[in-house]
Amino acid sequence: MKKLISRILLGATILASSACTKIDNYDGPNASFEGNLISSEGGNLLTSQGSSQIRLEQISWSATPSPQEIPSKFDGTFKDSKLFKGTYKVIPKGGAFWPLYDTLTVDINKGTKHDFTVTPYILIKNFTATLNGKTLTLKYTMEAPIGAGLPTIIETQPYVNNTKLVGAGASIRDFSDIYKKAINKQWADMTDADKSVTIDIPDMLPGRKFFVRVGVRLNDSFKSSNFSDIIEIDVPAN
Amino acid sequence: MKSINKLIIAISISVGALVTSCQKLDIPPTNIFTPDIIFGSEAGVKSFLATIYRNLPIEDFKYRPDQGFKTGGNDWENFFNSASVTGEEVGPFGGMDIGTGFGYWPYDNIRNVNILIEELPKHADKLGQTNVNALLGEAHFLRAYYYFGLAKRYGGVPIVTKVQDPGAPLSELQVHRDKEEATWDFIGTELDLGYQMMNETNELGRANKYAAAALKSRAMLYAGSIAKYGSANFVDGQARTEGFAGIPADKANGYFTKAYDAAKLLEGHYSLYEKNADKVQNYVDLFLKSESPENIFVKQYSIISNTAHSWDATMSPRYMTANALTRSYPTLDLVQRWGALSVTNSDGTPKRFNDRADIMQGLEPRLLATVYFPGATLRGLTFDMQRGIYPTFSGTAAAEVAKPANSRSYILSGDTKTLYQGRMIIGFTGPWTGGDELTRTGFYVRKYIDAAKPISTVDLNRSEQPWLELRYAEILLNRAEAAMELGNAGDALTVINLIRNRAGATPYTSIDIDKIRNERGMELAFENHYYWDLKRWRISDVVLNNARFKGLMPYYVFNENKYIFLAEPELFQRNYNFDKKFYYEPIPGGELGKNPNLYPNNPNY
Repeated sequence: MKKLISRILLGATILASSACTKIDNYDGPNASFEGNLISSEGGNLLTSQGSSQIRLEQISWSATPSPQEIPSKFDGTFKDSKLFKGTYKVIPKGGAFWPLYDTLTVDINKGTKHDFTVTPYILIKNFTATLNGKTLTLKYTMEAPIGAGLPTIIETQPYVNNTKLVGAGASIRDFSDIYKKAINKQWADMTDADKSVTIDIPDMLPGRKFFVRVGVRLNDSFKSSNFSDIIEIDVPAN
Repeated sequence: MKSINKLIIAISISVGALVTSCQKLDIPPTNIFTPDIIFGSEAGVKSFLATIYRNLPIEDFKYRPDQGFKTGGNDWENFFNSASVTGEEVGPFGGMDIGTGFGYWPYDNIRNVNILIEELPKHADKLGQTNVNALLGEAHFLRAYYYFGLAKRYGGVPIVTKVQDPGAPLSELQVHRDKEEATWDFIGTELDLGYQMMNETNELGRANKYAAAALKSRAMLYAGSIAKYGSANFVDGQARTEGFAGIPADKANGYFTKAYDAAKLLEGHYSLYEKNADKVQNYVDLFLKSESPENIFVKQYSIISNTAHSWDATMSPRYMTANALTRSYPTLDLVQRWGALSVTNSDGTPKRFNDRADIMQGLEPRLLATVYFPGATLRGLTFDMQRGIYPTFSGTAAAEVAKPANSRSYILSGDTKTLYQGRMIIGFTGPWTGGDELTRTGFYVRKYIDAAKPISTVDLNRSEQPWLELRYAEILLNRAEAAMELGNAGDALTVINLIRNRAGATPYTSIDIDKIRNERGMELAFENHYYWDLKRWRISDVVLNNARFKGLMPYYVFNENKYIFLAEPELFQRNYNFDKKFYYEPIPGGELGKNPNLYPNNPNY
């Protein structure tokens, strides 16, 4: 019996020691890619949840790789620190900016940086938010760096949230979506009055802090929106 | 001597063995069916056809747009339908969850059809040339059906018409995508062959020549709309510039003409079901009577073959069934396709009704046969929909609905046992938000419901009424739409009025494209057409732009002993948003991995 056990143990030891001799000799995903989406009109392109991405295709892996995307942060920066080292085709997409068609080939390694310059469809200028009692009044004007050929302007709306992460898909519906203003016009057909917008949001909750921004949505392939910067509003307690 | 004898015996045995052993083993294998067995008799062909028919991309009761076509014995979740992402209904989908499809890729079935088309002519001696021709026509129809299922999802796909040899070089097996236009043209040609070669009639559940013409009218209408509207509203990308997703706009009229001509072929051979003088009951019967002259191509189900569906048990509340689970409910938005319901007075206050059922007065029979309203009856029980009780009610409906829920003066309840001064607060049939099984909109589906079934038999996997995949009303609507797109308003008006007369609606005196589309929405509600209609008209991203839908909530006003109806957001509070890229589904990732020639993928994937 003892012999048998020791033989089984011996067998198990031989199996265990001979297993797992191969080593994974591929590098882990230790490369990174980061940068800014710079607006041609100055500063970074202001984005929101899911609005702009950097699309990567690792051509050093396959001739027809499945694309992967790095979402842009709200301030127009992007970063992915878990990429595999290699050669990638990269391009910003998702709007709301004049589409780029030429992909860039980048060797991504540790700490690779690249800034993309894009031309936004619409700029939101002179954005002010003033509180009058419990009513919040938003005023802003729209400008287009390039007017000709601009996709139809669908609508404009405020985004109000109780955190700094405010934008499409991150807003309080009762203060945001329901104050949407339909436009549905070509840029050339918009009057100056159409381009300067005033939105009143009544019944803001007293004693709360809100973060407010506005957006203009265009009928491009992504139905993407250009956003304003974010203003912090403290509604005084009664 | 003895040993010699033994020797002789031994030698003769070996010689005998040697002589007889040299037979070549050339007998047909007994454990597999050879083409001769299958294609040598009509029964064999029929069994082969059965598989092809069963897997057809028919979006029936059991079809789950996020998972695929279901043929099993327990695919009972029939409320996961495409109606419940398009605003016809609201239901279990959390939003526009079906935009990228389920990776439909039926080239295994297409291979079966290709085998059929290659084998049949070899067996003309046994099957007879006439039979072979009719069967070949059927095969072309079936192949077109599969390609239609592909084209409406992906646009251009590889057209494979030969049985591929698995041993062939990879370069032959990795077939390129064909252009979208070529794919639709192929479908049209296949259906022409089907129409020319098939017989006038066929057994129930199989296609005849008119089914080919009917499907052609549908497919060519899709192609025409995609050419016309897809060239105005599209997502840019390589697949589009190379013609895999998108058809040139100047091709639209050619397709509309083909759709119109194909629909015309059915004239005189099929007619709308009008056997019952009671217009409501007639419209109900149309979906339940298999002898209807309106049915062109149906899909059958049976409990014995383990294929029954669960429509009755998943569309009506448990109160009226033996064991039910409902989850998708018609919206007020759908009901108002028929025009606004008269539930408010001119001053904006809600109309007072003595009885819930009074809301149905004066409504179009087709509407009453499509949707169960509060006050309707099923299997001897009343749809007693009631959202809650107002002890008193004053003011306008709009002002009341706009109030935050906590400042409304209504009384709600989580169950039917809770009473307010001796009166039930909610109805046995809802609306209620605590569970899934009661309406969230104030309505239930009536189309296809078999009211004659006793309650005890209405259970999951126990419904056998056939799915009317192609019915003449749809062909008339295809014809009217194609006619209108071609500028033939006269024919469109005549045809639409045929449908409206049967429905019990007032005939139109003039017609436009919006009326035709609305008629289609009413006539074909819940029949899984609307999702594709919105897509081919390229208006899904407008109709489903963060869309929220409404229900009609019945309340009892206690001090007045009256009922009121308030149009309120449906109680799931769903939000539906259609991304433009969904106009084409992505080519399935697994297939792209196997065949790089399927690139470019559709735009934005």
